[in-house]
Amino acid sequence: MIKTFYSLCLIIFLGCISVSVYAVDVITHPSVSEPILTTSQLRRIYTMRQTQWSDGQRITVFVLPRHHVLHLQFSKERLEMYPYQLDRIWNKLTYSGLGVAPITITSPEKLVEAVRKTPGAIGYVRKLKDEKDFYIIKVKG
Amino acid sequence: MLENLKMRKIFILLKLKAKVANVLIKKRLLLTVIFYFFTTAVIASDQNFQLHGFAAQGLINVNGSNFVNDDGSLSTELTEIGLNASYQLSSSFRLAGQVVHLDGGNRYNDGVRVDYALLDWSAYSNEYWQVNLYVGRYKNYHWLYSSTRDVPFTRPSIILPQSVYFDGFRDIAVGADGVAVKISHSSDDLGYFDFNMSTGASSISDEQTKIILSDFAFGKMKHTYDLQASLYWQPLLSPWRFGIALLDSDFEYNAAETGDVFINANITLQRYMANILYEGERWEFSGEILQERFVFDGFYYEGAHRDTIGQGMFVQSQYKVNQDLTLLLRYERIYVNKDDKKGHDLEDSTQGLVPSYFAYQYDATVGFSCDLAENFRMQFEYHYIKGTARLTPVVLPNPKINNSENWQLWAVQLMYWF
Repeated sequence: MIKTFYSLCLIIFLGCISVSVYAVDVITHPSVSEPILTTSQLRRIYTMRQTQWSDGQRITVFVLPRHHVLHLQFSKERLEMYPYQLDRIWNKLTYSGLGVAPITITSPEKLVEAVRKTPGAIGYVRKLKDEKDFYIIKVKG
Repeated sequence: MLENLKMRKIFILLKLKAKVANVLIKKRLLLTVIFYFFTTAVIASDQNFQLHGFAAQGLINVNGSNFVNDDGSLSTELTEIGLNASYQLSSSFRLAGQVVHLDGGNRYNDGVRVDYALLDWSAYSNEYWQVNLYVGRYKNYHWLYSSTRDVPFTRPSIILPQSVYFDGFRDIAVGADGVAVKISHSSDDLGYFDFNMSTGASSISDEQTKIILSDFAFGKMKHTYDLQASLYWQPLLSPWRFGIALLDSDFEYNAAETGDVFINANITLQRYMANILYEGERWEFSGEILQERFVFDGFYYEGAHRDTIGQGMFVQSQYKVNQDLTLLLRYERIYVNKDDKKGHDLEDSTQGLVPSYFAYQYDATVGFSCDLAENFRMQFEYHYIKGTARLTPVVLPNPKINNSENWQLWAVQLMYWF
């Protein structure tokens, strides 16, 4: 009985210290000088509350269509927001003149291409193996 | 089944496209504006130019009031079409504009209008602060749904709660020509703050004058002053958001020189509002509460004076059954005069001409929205309503047509956006 209890405690402890493994990587154009981003910074960028990098360069935000599985994963895992909350913020900006929403790209391949070609751009991809020509940015909690 | 759905979608899109085309032909000036945006798009790079739009058509049936039409028949007067463009001129300046075509029957003036057309100056921006100044025709950015009240897929329902989003006041509450400022602060400790302030005036059409005052008002109504402010706060990582909003506006009525039964009038409308929003994974709760002061001098006879304080509120819940289906439940109340909630004084003061039920309106609503495809949605709702306080004309009501205390409506709308 006591053995089972200790085993259970050990499992819970290991669960607590295990590092989160994400299915989505955040990528930027190589011109972006930020070495690391916090989750709250990433959330500010994707909710369009931060439109410039720290060096003053304009941020161009790319996303996949709102029902795309990778977009759903990104918003929940990386932004810790529900996709409908993002839709709501972007729709308000777009259809009231208040601001601009991220640019929607139809496929993950085209999104990678758009980030590669656009200085100051940020986007996301399924976990990458090949990292050349653009930059996987580290995101800390 | 899928083929059927595709055919239906194509048919609706063609119908809506035809409507858009029709509307644009009518308004050459607006066409020029759109043409300008299109040509700029060719010159500009993709990232600097964005073009979006929406189209929605519905059916609405009202039983027991003239909310949409006078004869109570099934109506197609539920059309909303819009096209907008945004062009980034430089890192600090942006041009944006939207043209809409609306048809809501008696609810508001139908036709094409410039919804917003503004120059956005990003006056200050860093990681935590954003200050923007908007000059031109801006939207009302102060209430929960005011900035996109005509954009169907951004609303919780086809008919917004009339306590706050009274369609009779739509044209004067939707936005104005002037200056607006937005200050956003994102704190890593306290969360998000948004402060909005605007001042300007909106032009009031003859049709809108009749909607607000009376079918027999042949003079001109002018919006002379408007000051609005709001503050929103979302605590860090919280599903809750809280807001307050204030409005102070003045109007004057200049009676027609001949044939007007009414005289000049001065009108003041002041509003104090608070709202709350909860966004969970499946559940969503929201509500707005308001108190409004309506001061009315003249109009009927020299020295006539009315100063009333009205109160209203709505609470609603939405439940997301899955990614495509959302259910809605809402209850709302509005009193024209908080000191005469049952309307006895109203009825007595008009010698029974205006029944007591014009003093209040309660509305219970159920509905759902269903995503049929990416950016293609159907919305349905049913309202059971008691009282007629939010029917038009506002100042001199029409008890002849609206002779029933209880009335109902249902509406269904298909919408597409890009």
